[in-house]
Amino acid sequence: MIPRTSHIILVAAAVLLTLLLAGEAVDPVLYAAENISTAAHADPSTIEKRSPGDAASVIPLMDELLGHTGTLALTIKIKDYESAQRDLARYSELTSQFDRLVVTLDLSETDIAEFQKNNRQNQEAMAALLNDSQRLDELQSLEIEVLDGDQRMAVVYEGEALRQKMRETYTAYAKREPETTRIATHYGANATPYQESVEVIAEVAGAAEDWQADAPRSPLNISVTPREGRYGENLSIGGRYADGVPGTPLTIYVDSRIAGNTTLDENAAYAYPYRIGRILAGPHLVYATAGAIFSEVATFDVLPAETNISLAIAEVNRTAVACTGNLTTEDGRPVQEAPVLLRLDGETLISTQTDGNGTYARTLILTGGEHTVRAEFNAAGYPLNSSRSGVVSIQVRGEGLSPFPFIAAIAAALGAGWYIRRRGLPPEPPVPEEPDIEPPPEIAETGPSVEIEGLPPRDAATILFRALRERLGIPATKTPRECARLAPDHAAFFERYERIRYAGETPTDEELRAMEREALGRAD
Amino acid sequence: MQRETRVVLLVLLLAGGALYLHTTTTTEEFSRHNIGWNGTSSLPAEEVRDLSRLDPGSTLLVLAPDRPFTPEEVGYLRAFLDGGGRVIIADEEGAANPLLADLGSEIRVRPGNLSSLERDYAHPGLFRGYVVGNDTLFAGVETVLLNRPAEVEGGEPLIETSVLTWDDVDADGRVGEGETFGRSVVCAREGNLIVLGDTSLFINAMLPENPKFIENLQPVQIDAVHSRTGSRNPIINTLAWIAERPLAVAAMAALIILPVAWRFGRKRE
Repeated sequence: MIPRTSHIILVAAAVLLTLLLAGEAVDPVLYAAENISTAAHADPSTIEKRSPGDAASVIPLMDELLGHTGTLALTIKIKDYESAQRDLARYSELTSQFDRLVVTLDLSETDIAEFQKNNRQNQEAMAALLNDSQRLDELQSLEIEVLDGDQRMAVVYEGEALRQKMRETYTAYAKREPETTRIATHYGANATPYQESVEVIAEVAGAAEDWQADAPRSPLNISVTPREGRYGENLSIGGRYADGVPGTPLTIYVDSRIAGNTTLDENAAYAYPYRIGRILAGPHLVYATAGAIFSEVATFDVLPAETNISLAIAEVNRTAVACTGNLTTEDGRPVQEAPVLLRLDGETLISTQTDGNGTYARTLILTGGEHTVRAEFNAAGYPLNSSRSGVVSIQVRGEGLSPFPFIAAIAAALGAGWYIRRRGLPPEPPVPEEPDIEPPPEIAETGPSVEIEGLPPRDAATILFRALRERLGIPATKTPRECARLAPDHAAFFERYERIRYAGETPTDEELRAMEREALGRAD
Repeated sequence: MQRETRVVLLVLLLAGGALYLHTTTTTEEFSRHNIGWNGTSSLPAEEVRDLSRLDPGSTLLVLAPDRPFTPEEVGYLRAFLDGGGRVIIADEEGAANPLLADLGSEIRVRPGNLSSLERDYAHPGLFRGYVVGNDTLFAGVETVLLNRPAEVEGGEPLIETSVLTWDDVDADGRVGEGETFGRSVVCAREGNLIVLGDTSLFINAMLPENPKFIENLQPVQIDAVHSRTGSRNPIINTLAWIAERPLAVAAMAALIILPVAWRFGRKRE
């Protein structure tokens, strides 16, 4: 290495080191923290920021729900049914919103979920109370207008059924109050409107009690056996119709909704098997009608039951996994047509449903990497408790690598190899003075015609080189240097072309004309 | 030329050595020599090693203590508090409880894994606490970003969490069976003694998150004897030992200058 180069390298190294030192003096950071979390803390700069959004709305929504119970109870009490329908619609909307929050925020094992359950039941109670109050008002009007025997009796029986139902509704509503108030107070929500609503509903139910129609004992009696049951069990609703004709159709109502139809047998008796399905846990009312005749009202209790949900994951292909499992009660009964949520990576929720056997199946398309999945059953509307499966981890392989980059890389490598081979031919051995291997090429009298007008000078030179090579009968595989060796008379031409081709020199017009003459074998 | 090359190489070697010593760091939690996210190198504070020499009326921070206080040291702290000084004890493992008892305080740190649903970050342990008490330390501060804090019992509450906070005993990031939501106090005071259940507020990564709180803290001294602000790195400790002793600094300077002086003196001869 010459001394000057050595000096330059040393000076450059010194300058570089000085710059590095100067940079470090300002900001002496040598390493980047890899661990973003320790037992004591987490590094906020490496953790994704997000809006508290959903969580921040939990308590205000609880407040709003409790407030709506007060308003709604009052509008029912003053019989402003139009406003009550509006209030109920808004209350139902808020209730659905709260249900979604509980699922999204994964609060199913907290007392907020208990509040949600109670609120859902309160909302259904309010809806029933509004309908029953309206119907009772209609019946009271009818009773005054209708004087004849059968019709009057029908009015009286239905009124009696409604009265009992409203009483039951109030009892259940009041029963939920202490726990709901406790939870609301714990979270700082205002439970006063809700507590007041209990008193107002007591007044509404009490007003119904005041309507003590002169109700003789109905000829259509009813009973439920057994008096209580759990999800999936069958209850028998039956009785006798004293004056009934065999074959008379009967309609069975559970909580004022048609549950099914049956007919009287030859003994004027009837029986209807009622399977406990999607119905809330707690007391329920049942009555039957035979034409205009209403039975008395019977009650039964639905007891809550635990559930189990399983989850199995199997790979379908590189990006898809199949999630399957069963949802059953604690005694093994399948929970049919029930909604199941798959919680992916702790956050994303994917919904599916069980079939008639309590089995669910859902295929998930996932990105490559490790994922966790958990199945959840949120038992809203069922006499069942929520359940969740264990968390199952799965490694998804992801999309295979596209072959295109590999093909492109191989093609590029081959191309580069070819190019380097062409450019980097080893130096030619010295040209022998008299080549004796190949005979001198046969020189044609006249060369082929070529057109170089308008072409860039270097391209024109290439065309002329090819023309001369062809005219001299030299194979096209020969390089300019080989051509010079094979045709020493034209060595100057080929050497000039070699410089043009490989050294990047540009021929002048005069040179091109001279090369053209030589290539075409024209005399000067 | 060979001689010149050797000189240049020597200079480069010395420069590289100086660079290494200058930038040698550590990843130890809370270390004043840790320039990473979990160190406290960026916290503006003066280290004190002798509690008998505290400036009356100043603020002393005891950060993540892991060594016991002697009765004499407790006496110094008591006298410091009685003299109008302010002591801030930041601890989340309960190691400060014996000191608190010795100081006659009823405040205690309850180790746990407080997590919150109401948070700005994906991590359940990173959430905001709400200032509920009056203290100059939190003047003009409404919320403080907490980082895996512990609950503090007793005293006058200064910072409380949202009601949607729970002790995540099983550390699964969700409220499970046996875990309940509720507000927790994470900072309380008794007179001039403030106990903060979050040591992370003083690490480098957290300083920009609560700028007003850090500003209110100034000027502050850190107890360098009992706090986990030191390092076990021998190079750092050697450099610190030299820097703290003028005689050692002079000896090091002499060690560098004397050979050079000797070399040049010899050349002149």
